[in-house]
Amino acid sequence: MDGTVVKVNPATGGARAAIRVADLTFGYTRRTVLHGVSFTLEGGAVGLLGPNGSGKTTLLRCLLGQVPLQAGRVEVAGFDMARQARRARARLGWMPERGGVIPGMSGVGLVAYLGELAGMPARDAMQRAHEVLHYVGLADERYRMCEDYSQGMKQRLKLAQALVHDPAWLFLDEPTSGLDPRGRAAILELIADLAGNKGLGVVLSTHLLADVEAVCREILVLREGRLLARQEVDGKARQPRQVFEVEGFGDEAAFLAGLEQLGAEVTRDNRLQLVTLDLARLDGGEAVGGDGFDPAAGTGAILEVAAATGFALRRLRRRPVTLAEEFYTLVEG
Amino acid sequence: MPVYERGYTHWRPSGLKALPAWLVIARRGVTGPLKRRRILLLVLLAWIPAIVKGGIIYFRLKAGNLTDLLGAGWASIGPDGFLSFLEGQRFFVFVLLAVTGAGLIATDRREGGLTLYFSRPLSLVDYLAGKAGSVLFFYLLITLLPVYVLCLEAYLIAPGATGLTMLLAIPARATFYCLLSGVSITLVLLAFSSLGKRSIFVMVWWAIMITGTEALAAIGGGLGSRGMQALNFLGQYHNLGSLVFGTAPRIDVPAPVSLVMVLVWTALALAVLRRQVRPVEVVS
Repeated sequence: MDGTVVKVNPATGGARAAIRVADLTFGYTRRTVLHGVSFTLEGGAVGLLGPNGSGKTTLLRCLLGQVPLQAGRVEVAGFDMARQARRARARLGWMPERGGVIPGMSGVGLVAYLGELAGMPARDAMQRAHEVLHYVGLADERYRMCEDYSQGMKQRLKLAQALVHDPAWLFLDEPTSGLDPRGRAAILELIADLAGNKGLGVVLSTHLLADVEAVCREILVLREGRLLARQEVDGKARQPRQVFEVEGFGDEAAFLAGLEQLGAEVTRDNRLQLVTLDLARLDGGEAVGGDGFDPAAGTGAILEVAAATGFALRRLRRRPVTLAEEFYTLVEG
Repeated sequence: MPVYERGYTHWRPSGLKALPAWLVIARRGVTGPLKRRRILLLVLLAWIPAIVKGGIIYFRLKAGNLTDLLGAGWASIGPDGFLSFLEGQRFFVFVLLAVTGAGLIATDRREGGLTLYFSRPLSLVDYLAGKAGSVLFFYLLITLLPVYVLCLEAYLIAPGATGLTMLLAIPARATFYCLLSGVSITLVLLAFSSLGKRSIFVMVWWAIMITGTEALAAIGGGLGSRGMQALNFLGQYHNLGSLVFGTAPRIDVPAPVSLVMVLVWTALALAVLRRQVRPVEVVS
């Protein structure tokens, strides 16, 4: 014990700072859980998706500095987690999936206690505890003992303790686990507000795709400890293979032959031609900055073929892909 | 009204000084049990021997019977008397520490509290120091504090008769002994607590450790076996106390052997705590 009191957020509390992970490898005993994971997060809400056992919670624990890194580098909020994990944790909030409620304390007592452990003075911690419990909707129940809380109230309490010291980043592990639809919607509403309006970075680990769609602007997909994909939730897919819906009239045979020269695969869906293009093979297919692929390159290529073959297009658009479709496509390979 | 409209504001520090994390944990470990009546009652009961001893000291000093007081025995005000008094507190030490300390880590492990603690900027040493601090508080509350009070009483009633022995020597020896034994016993109890997830099981193991080893030692004493006497858990601390207070050994085991046993238990306890107290439980 060095008796050091870690000073937490200055008045700029909540200011964003990036998370940078490079070649992170980690394992328990003989089993490697994460294999060379690399990514950078600048802020906002990011979903961490993956099947059970894919390494989501382990990745969050690495970001929190709760486990010693074996290889690679993790930098969170400007702190190197191999050397400065303790200092970094003063700026991080953690909402665990299991447990996380210490019995024998009232709701406000628990939140204030954890605030003090985060380096807050006792008076500040108590005042903040009241504020965040009010924010998460537990103002009326704050003096009840934690062990008497319902599952929904416990989830809110866990969110409150993660917020009490005003972290820059929130790491949420299955925050809607065990909640009824109304409770789930309320928690998601709070998370969206924190990420969207209050300037907190949020990493949301879950296997519920609907939660991610409701809150996050982009997702990281993990499978067997490897980062499989990173893409935006709003439909701007970053995958190289993308499907375009085409409808038109004219010399269809010439048009299809032209598409074949692009390496496209074409199938028919009623009146629509479904053209699957590999954007990696197209000029300008890769997005600027090398961050994924640009669907505009695909539509541009199809337009050129149509113009060259005299095929009049009535409809051309990239087929919207649901997050669930993308996720299962990615995870199932 | 949407939930978020209730507002969230960023924290603006007041500039007040924050307590170190270990002290926050220790404070919670002390104030929590002190709110329970049965623990307060237990503490009061643990003070009864001190009150009785205090009464005896008072009347004997008033009667001027210093020869009896300075001799050996539980009621004396010499080193042997205070070591005997500390030995006599072992039942209360056993019960009070079991009640206040058994669940300290076990409950955190059962309820997933460790992951919360270690999501804060505190180290393993902070955590253990905080937990140990609260157990040590209760230990010292019924051992060292009564010794201080009794020494003060004796010194105030008959300063000329007790002199520097009562003012410095015995309090210093008692402080050294109580801190040494207290830290070691506390770490052993916390190690037990870290091995279980339910307080009741920890208490059972603690009882077996205390009474079981004492029974073994008694059997060993009957058979003349020093080896079995060396297993007596609390006996080793009292034997070590005889070295500190400069009195006759308490059991038929050399004091250096007792010191080695105490160090071994302490080292084992630290090794167990280091292995068991982690934010992440690895199930292989």
